[in-house]
Amino acid sequence: MIDNIFHHEHKLLNYAHIKLKEIKGLRIIGEAKEKNAIISFVLDTIHPHDAGTILDTLGIAVRVGHHCAQPLMERLEVPATIRASFSMYNTLEEIDSLVAGIKKIQEIML
Amino acid sequence: MSRIQRLYEDMILEHNKKPRNFCVMENHSHSSHGKNPLCGDDYYVYINCSESHIDNVSFIGQGCAISKSSGSLMTEMLKGLSIQEALALKDSFLDMVSTDISPEKKKSLGNLKVFEGVKEFPARVKCAALVWRALEDALGTQHGVACTE
Repeated sequence: MIDNIFHHEHKLLNYAHIKLKEIKGLRIIGEAKEKNAIISFVLDTIHPHDAGTILDTLGIAVRVGHHCAQPLMERLEVPATIRASFSMYNTLEEIDSLVAGIKKIQEIML
Repeated sequence: MSRIQRLYEDMILEHNKKPRNFCVMENHSHSSHGKNPLCGDDYYVYINCSESHIDNVSFIGQGCAISKSSGSLMTEMLKGLSIQEALALKDSFLDMVSTDISPEKKKSLGNLKVFEGVKEFPARVKCAALVWRALEDALGTQHGVACTE
C-alpha cells in the first residue's frame, strides 16, 4: 500500500516538474533527484502572494511565503516562494489545472 | 467584474509595474520602516515636512502588487496635505479596506478607491495597510518601525 502511494505521488511530482518547466518565467527552487512530492517555484516579477491569491480564487490551494525558512529565502535571494504539494488524493488533471492557473496569473499580472 | 478583477484593478497593476516616488529621500524629516516578516513585504517611507505640511513623500522596498501600489498611490495623494489631513486620509483608507464606508468618505479617497476590492480578501488587508501604518509611525515617532501582521 505504502509503495502504491509513493509511486502515485512521484508520478505526480515528475509530471508537474515537466509541465512547470515548460512555463516561461517560472523557476523551480530545489531540484534534488531524491525529493518528496512538493515543488517550490517563483515567477519572474510576480510576487508569490499575488500568485497565491489568484490561485485561491481558482480553487487551487498552494502555500506561499517564507515557509518558516526566512534565512533560506535570504540565501536564495527570493522574497518568498509558491509551493505546491501532491498527495495520494491528487490527480494529473489537477496539475493541468495548476499549470492553467499559473498562466492565468501571468495573464493578469504581466 | 470578478472578485480578482476587483482586487487587481488596472490602476493597481499599473502602479505595481511603475511605482511613483519610488526612491530614497536623503533629506527627510520623518521616516519609518514598514516590515511584515511573515510575508516579506518590506518598505521604507520618507517624508519631508515643512511646518505642519507635507512637502514631499517617497518610499522604497519590495513586496507584492497590493503593497507596492498602495505605497505608490499613497505618495501621490499626500503631497501638500497637512499632517492632520494625511492622518485622516490614512484612517479613511484603512476603514475602506476593512469595512463598508459612507459614500462621502469614499469620495474623499480619490484614486485610492481602487483598493476597495481588498476588503473581499481579508488576508491581503495587511499588504494594503503596511505603508500607511509606516506613514502613521513616521509622523508619530519620526524614525520608527511599523508592522501589520
